Amino acid sequence: MSLSGKVAVVTGAGTGIGKGVAIELAKRGVKVAISYNSSDAGANDTRQRIEEIGGESVIVRANVAIKQEIDDMVNAVADHFGGIDILVNNAALQLNYNFEHSDEQYDRMMNINLKGYWQCMQAVVPYMKAKQSGRIINISSVHGKRPTDFDTVYSMTKGGIKMLGREAAIELAKYGITVNTIEPGAVNVGKQGTKETKPIVPAEAADRLKKEPPRDIRKKFPLGRVGLPKDVGSLVCYLASDETEFLTGAAIRLDGASMLL
Amino acid sequence: MRLHDKVVFITDADSPSGKAIIDRLSGEGAHFVLNSVSGGENIRANVERCQSAGSKVFVVNIDLCQSSEVEDMLESAAGQLGTVDILVHNNNVVRPISVETGEEALFLDIMNANAKSAFICTKAVGKQMEAKQSGKVVYVSSIHAEKPTGSSFAYSASKGAVKMLTREASIVLGRHGVNVNAIEFGPVEGDDAAFESDISTLYHSYRYKVPNAVLGSYEDLANLVLFLSADEARYLNGADIRMDGGFLMHYMDFKMKRPGGSV
Repeated sequence: MSLSGKVAVVTGAGTGIGKGVAIELAKRGVKVAISYNSSDAGANDTRQRIEEIGGESVIVRANVAIKQEIDDMVNAVADHFGGIDILVNNAALQLNYNFEHSDEQYDRMMNINLKGYWQCMQAVVPYMKAKQSGRIINISSVHGKRPTDFDTVYSMTKGGIKMLGREAAIELAKYGITVNTIEPGAVNVGKQGTKETKPIVPAEAADRLKKEPPRDIRKKFPLGRVGLPKDVGSLVCYLASDETEFLTGAAIRLDGASMLL
Repeated sequence: MRLHDKVVFITDADSPSGKAIIDRLSGEGAHFVLNSVSGGENIRANVERCQSAGSKVFVVNIDLCQSSEVEDMLESAAGQLGTVDILVHNNNVVRPISVETGEEALFLDIMNANAKSAFICTKAVGKQMEAKQSGKVVYVSSIHAEKPTGSSFAYSASKGAVKMLTREASIVLGRHGVNVNAIEFGPVEGDDAAFESDISTLYHSYRYKVPNAVLGSYEDLANLVLFLSADEARYLNGADIRMDGGFLMHYMDFKMKRPGGSV
């Protein structure tokens, strides 16, 4: 695939899916800006793993809830690498508050998960417009389609991203920019979330479940495993390549068919 | 009398959809909590008709994006009419905003008016409905929960968010005997102006893209709201019902049913 020498910004690249995406891009010769907000150690680890495979990267920091921080981060990346070809919107907040989010928690999740995706797009568009080409890839979730039953606001943000992707695809097409959405299902990302994030399964239910015999993974995931960050990374690389210039406004569910069970 | 003594909370009573829904549901014996941005001024005739038909009406003018205001208001309303049986969320703020150049404040205005208020109102009435293990929630959404507008990305994002709210609430509140559904409505007269776009051709000849070439009305909408609010709809839950006369099914322009028959 024709990715070597391109420049990508990956938000939330210090942990989980973002880390996997950054590494897969770097493997294919992409210069990667590792954008992160809170996990210094995570961002450093991503950078180190890219170094080990002989890749090029830079660490940048931004809270994507704040437009000025996004703009500063994106401008710094463009200055450093000379332009931007690929944006991977990935940084998101999940609190698992069921239906009980406070007004303030609602705002925080919308500001990061939806407004942040939009304003990162706004920030990269001038650089992509200058080249009349670009790739924007939004990491959403199967919860843009199926409810979570543990975080109403999380899936509301993902429902918003679905339409943001469709609107941006038709609006930015005139600049040669494509916009696509990936909807991962369960991905093994280790322990994640903020101190505020609640466990999806409350302690009492977890105790009960522990006493039951373990469920055959194929009952939930037909391929016999959950997703891995590199599964998302591989698809990002394809969507970022020159081979997909006619693919835009699409959403690809990447869940090993688990939603079909 | 399909809604005899049921209490209906309508979030934007002043809008054309709000007025049509008041008129339709009052004929079925409902009482009303009406949020009116004009403080009742613009719905005086509708309220008078309700009252002469025997409906009790509680008019308020609050910020639906503040949980505390909504909860306090619902408590006062409960003292007058009883707790809410049916929530009709019909906020529909449409303003042009582009992905490339849009301003943050406008984005937030649109998202909050259409989506955040839906979450907050649902959370608040959900508690009342949970207590009596029954209730109906109806969101008046839009065909733009699926189809991009090419003119207001924040509008369609807000309706995409409401679609997922519908699905989440249908299980969370569904376990308490509440039905939660969305109506994805459109187009109506004037939507070609409201969604004027230099990108999308969706509203070109829009009235003829409805296969039967007859646009829907707010009375059509009110009929579906009534059905979803009534006992007959007990097995409808988590559905997003596209109510557009077949508009989004349109494909071949040369086959449009239009005067003279040609494009």
